[in-house]
Amino acid sequence: MIEVSGLKKTFGDVVAIEDVSFTAADARVTGLLGHNGAGKSTSLRVLYGLIKPETGYAKIDGIDVSQDRITAQSKLGVLPDGHGLYTRLTTREHLQYFGRLHGLSDDQIETRSEELIRMLDMQGIKDRRTEGFSQGERMKVCLARALIHNPRHVVLDEPTNGLDVMTTRKVRELIAELKTLGLCVLFSSHLMYEVAKLCDDIVIIAEGRVVAVGSPEEIRAAAGVDNLEDAFVLLSEQAASA
Amino acid sequence: MNVVRAVLIKELKDGLRDRRALLSAFLFPLFAPVFIYGLMTLVIKQNTESEDLVLPVIGQDYAPALMRQFEEAGFTLEAFDGSPEAAVRDKTVELVVQVPEDYQETMANFELTRVLVIHDGSRNDTRTIVRKVRNLISNYNNELAALRLIARGVSPKIMQGVRAKSSDVASDEQRAANLLNFIPIYVLMAAFVCGLGLAIDNTAGERERRSLEPLLINPVTRTALIFGKWLAASALAGAGMIITLALCLAAMLALPIDELGLNFTLTAGQVLMLLIAILPVPMFASSLQLLLGLFAKSFKDAQSYVGILIFIPVVPTLVMQFLPIASSLWMYFVPIFGQSLMIKEILGAETIPRLAYPAAFITTFATSLLVCWITGRLLNQERVIQS
Repeated sequence: MIEVSGLKKTFGDVVAIEDVSFTAADARVTGLLGHNGAGKSTSLRVLYGLIKPETGYAKIDGIDVSQDRITAQSKLGVLPDGHGLYTRLTTREHLQYFGRLHGLSDDQIETRSEELIRMLDMQGIKDRRTEGFSQGERMKVCLARALIHNPRHVVLDEPTNGLDVMTTRKVRELIAELKTLGLCVLFSSHLMYEVAKLCDDIVIIAEGRVVAVGSPEEIRAAAGVDNLEDAFVLLSEQAASA
Repeated sequence: MNVVRAVLIKELKDGLRDRRALLSAFLFPLFAPVFIYGLMTLVIKQNTESEDLVLPVIGQDYAPALMRQFEEAGFTLEAFDGSPEAAVRDKTVELVVQVPEDYQETMANFELTRVLVIHDGSRNDTRTIVRKVRNLISNYNNELAALRLIARGVSPKIMQGVRAKSSDVASDEQRAANLLNFIPIYVLMAAFVCGLGLAIDNTAGERERRSLEPLLINPVTRTALIFGKWLAASALAGAGMIITLALCLAAMLALPIDELGLNFTLTAGQVLMLLIAILPVPMFASSLQLLLGLFAKSFKDAQSYVGILIFIPVVPTLVMQFLPIASSLWMYFVPIFGQSLMIKEILGAETIPRLAYPAAFITTFATSLLVCWITGRLLNQERVIQS
């Protein structure tokens, strides 16, 4: 379970997030929805231990990320905002490097790599250097290295951003599969229909605050509209004018 | 420890696959000895060239006895016509000796006779021949004076007052080592050049490629990441430095340095001492490069910062050139300064204080560790993480 409470973070004069609280339960997919610049990435960065909040906390299975970053991070599989790869290493070598950083043995890495290569359809690129990979291929490598240590919690920052239809579909399948495996999946997106389709719970962020939390039905009811997209726009605008 | 090893292996693999960067990094060690050999051959040639010297003279018929002296010293005389100043300035001749028309007359009257030596004082290559000509004239003058005294029944010994007698305390090896001033510079520079690409790619490059964030979400201490990167860059820098040392020494041994009347020998013990002395230098260089690489705002920024570091090895030699102070123990405690001294002293077969090795090693190594630790702390700062 992921628990975020009262997060606040400013960069200089800019308030990135004001007050962000939500939870993401195990065996459920939770979607973090918001416009560009609403505070999604900043919230997730606090969650995966890259930056420290001024107030509030983020806990992974009860472990405070700011207090015990390393234990918390070992429970997380993260697709961060930055998707950089090492162009001179192959897909497998990426998995090997990240597996070792997670303290896995080479045997464990081998087995898990094969599993992920199958899951993400990477047979054709597993021993190729990542130089010249398509956007979709790169995303697959990023996802695989995030999952190499078989984490119980998966945090994905805009996993379908800029992908073609085929890869997007693959990513959505993966998210659904992770859910059936009982994992706690949290992902951010600015695409309404994607969140509506995949998520059990939705957290809407606007202007650095959580403006609505609940199932798609509950969100629609709260905004008083039939369409989830309208609800999203309405709630975001309300927050902006407040 | 496993984390440090994982990072080290990955960074080395990544770095060694970057053929172009590697080639440019190792061009330096390959090029340096060629440069040394070429330069030194030139120096030796200039210092030993004495046969077949042509001396342009104006009015050689006026002073046949003096001319004989020149010929006996190995000069071939050549009558000169035209403006001597212009010819010297145009570098068509190295120098011109002009004997005045009234040479015999003034000589007969025991007046001072001036033989003009026209030369260009800004030319380094003609300095030896000019000095030689002046010395010959001065010797001739002494002989002449002695003969005049004898003719008057006075012993020429009466002219002997005080004369300087020089006793050079430098050993042959030391004098040779003086010529080797640039070996420490080259060897130490190699430590700063060869790991540079990897160190920048490791830090500023990692951030620019946006792979730093994925790296930092791993459950490891940031100090461990830095130590892995540091060891990788140090390994490359060390390899480059040792290659440079080996090639420089080979170039020195191949040079006909004995033609200068100097002696350069090398024992296995000296080589071992050299290796021990310079071992911590690549670690020192790489630690500073990583720090600057992370501190810099961008890859380009990092390149210019780190580029400045390359000149650190020149500083000790420059300082010693202009402030020739005897080496004392504190100098060995200063990273790079200590090593620079030790290379020179080992090559010159001088005795080095026993404490010099541990002093230089410990301070240089400890400074590197400290810099790495600071870099690890820097990696905890949000400003540094975000590009």
